[in-house]
Amino acid sequence: MYELDMLLHGAQALLNQPMALLLALFGVTLGIIIGALPGLTATMGVAILLPFTFGMDPLSGLLMISGVFFGGIYGGSVTAILLKIPGTPAAAATAIDGYELTKKGQAGIALGTATFSSFLGGTASVFVLIFLAPVLARFALEFSASESFALAVFGLSIIASISGVSVIKGLISGFLGLLLATVGLDPMGGFPRYTGGYTELFNVPFIPVMIGLFAAAEAFKSLEDPQVRAGMAAALDRIIPPWHIFRRQLGNIARSSGLGIVIGMIPGAGADIAAFVAYNEAKRFSKTPENYGKGELGAVAACESGANGCTGGALLTMLTLGIPGDAVTAVMLGALTLQGLQPGPLLFKDHADLVFTLFAGMLVCYVFMLVVGLGSLRFMGRILQMPKSVLTPCILALCIVGTYAINNSMFDIWIMLAAGVVGYFMQKWDFPASPVVLALIMGPMAEANFRRALSLSSGSYDFLYTRPITAVLLTIAILTLMLPLLRRLWAQRSTGGPSTINPAAGSSRMGTPE
Amino acid sequence: MSNAPAPGGKAGLRPQDRLATLVIAALVMAVAIAAIIVAGDFPPTMLETDVGPARFPIIFAVALLVLCAILVFNTLRAPAAPPDDPAQVGPKASYGTVAIGIVATAVCLYAMEFVGYAIATPIYLFGLMWLMGRRNLIANAAIAAVLTALIYAAFAYALSVPLPVGSLFE
Repeated sequence: MYELDMLLHGAQALLNQPMALLLALFGVTLGIIIGALPGLTATMGVAILLPFTFGMDPLSGLLMISGVFFGGIYGGSVTAILLKIPGTPAAAATAIDGYELTKKGQAGIALGTATFSSFLGGTASVFVLIFLAPVLARFALEFSASESFALAVFGLSIIASISGVSVIKGLISGFLGLLLATVGLDPMGGFPRYTGGYTELFNVPFIPVMIGLFAAAEAFKSLEDPQVRAGMAAALDRIIPPWHIFRRQLGNIARSSGLGIVIGMIPGAGADIAAFVAYNEAKRFSKTPENYGKGELGAVAACESGANGCTGGALLTMLTLGIPGDAVTAVMLGALTLQGLQPGPLLFKDHADLVFTLFAGMLVCYVFMLVVGLGSLRFMGRILQMPKSVLTPCILALCIVGTYAINNSMFDIWIMLAAGVVGYFMQKWDFPASPVVLALIMGPMAEANFRRALSLSSGSYDFLYTRPITAVLLTIAILTLMLPLLRRLWAQRSTGGPSTINPAAGSSRMGTPE
Repeated sequence: MSNAPAPGGKAGLRPQDRLATLVIAALVMAVAIAAIIVAGDFPPTMLETDVGPARFPIIFAVALLVLCAILVFNTLRAPAAPPDDPAQVGPKASYGTVAIGIVATAVCLYAMEFVGYAIATPIYLFGLMWLMGRRNLIANAAIAAVLTALIYAAFAYALSVPLPVGSLFE
């Protein structure tokens, strides 16, 4: 088979370039660190390293950047699981169940599962990139503004799944997030909406809000605890999950990786969307969906394999069509161009040796990610053993510095603090924070693409039902939104009385068991 | 610890939870109404085929009003919860500490604009550790200094991300 032959030749060529392998290892390690630190993203890491690639050979430079990309997506999960600080937007989905697992004393298994799931999802996506790139590239071209709008609406419908017990409170959080997402420049006309004259609000302050709602709110909550000297649970026990437990996640990982690959191929949709969609589908197909949100290992596996599955998909569209799927691949596109390589169909023809050596190197990057990831987990786990009286101030300092790192703006830090205070009160009365984050990601995408699609269809709304992919996604979105409500009504009829879950009541964490 | 009331067969709301939920719903409705009023001043669109900058904010705000109305209705209808069993009530939460911590963070941010990261952060860390019950002043000072230096090294040196210098030193 042509691709297999080329891949083997590429692997052979890679072994003759130890510097490229070393730079790939450096890139992965740096990516994991950057991903773990709040406020720093894979995009920032790639952008910082780009100038250093000018003097390198193309393979070394591209492998280093790929390493940062892959490591950065994974790295966000570590702090999300241990401290409920999503290092990257994609890790916000992992934090939902990952941190609950840490509270249950299962941080080691959660981290190990996240690492293996990231490895499997990412590796699968690179294999798809290698063997199916030309075929799948045609699918990416089918996506126009209306399909992107429908995908965003589908993403928003996931709010019903991550709302916990009270769907009403979850929807309120979600629509608040949608309203917040309209702050800034209007996507079509450029009119500043709700900015109050502050130019800092021209763009949605997504990351400061995310850091505030998750990390700062959790830190403020720790201040409540009178027993502040006690550290959290004991040291991490086993990190490698038992085979009989991990084996049950393989189907989930395969499905989530597939979703991640497809979503990664769509321009404008990245690992954050893939993680939430994978979470939702894992919950839909799970035999114990009621455990999601309370510390379910399948949720962590789904989010991580979905997010890392996105990497190959995003690279696929960039390499085959020259269309960057997200900010990271846009920077990589720049790196390729600087090296004299033009992405597109001719890249595979004119530079096949280099491309397949690069693919072999990407597979090695994921092996490095697995090794470095597992190797660093014990060290990361020592964070758990710090007393809260030291850990909490450290977390707040990281929130401040991480937020400042985004735009060098003190205004962003004030937004982070405000979000932290709001997030603290939200969690006190069971208004979930995840729907706000989801809405901030999907809201702008939904509005901009809807208005674009409307313009493209000359003001007619028929694009909502005449385009097959759009119609299918919107139908699934409606079903996803209605399903939890229909389940409750069905449960009510079956028991012959009011539902055991009161939409106004909120969490089921307290109270005597039935 | 969540303030969520008991679920299931013992579903019900404590008076403070009922009041808190109603207050939150009222605040959200006020935000939604304000958003609708402000959106009324947005200019109409220049494109015939566009819905304009006001449409989506108004849709979201109206949805919020409807959802909050449902929440208020459900909250007023929910039965009262039985009184808390003193044996089952956990340790009293220290809300004063939370309030002081939030104010301390705000003061740190305000000070950082003038004196920069290197001065504001160790003082803030020291204060928070003391607030959380650590009384060993020398150890606190050492930990605060080390953490400040580590974060500085990671961001400013390793990742070339500049940290606030402060207007007094610029």
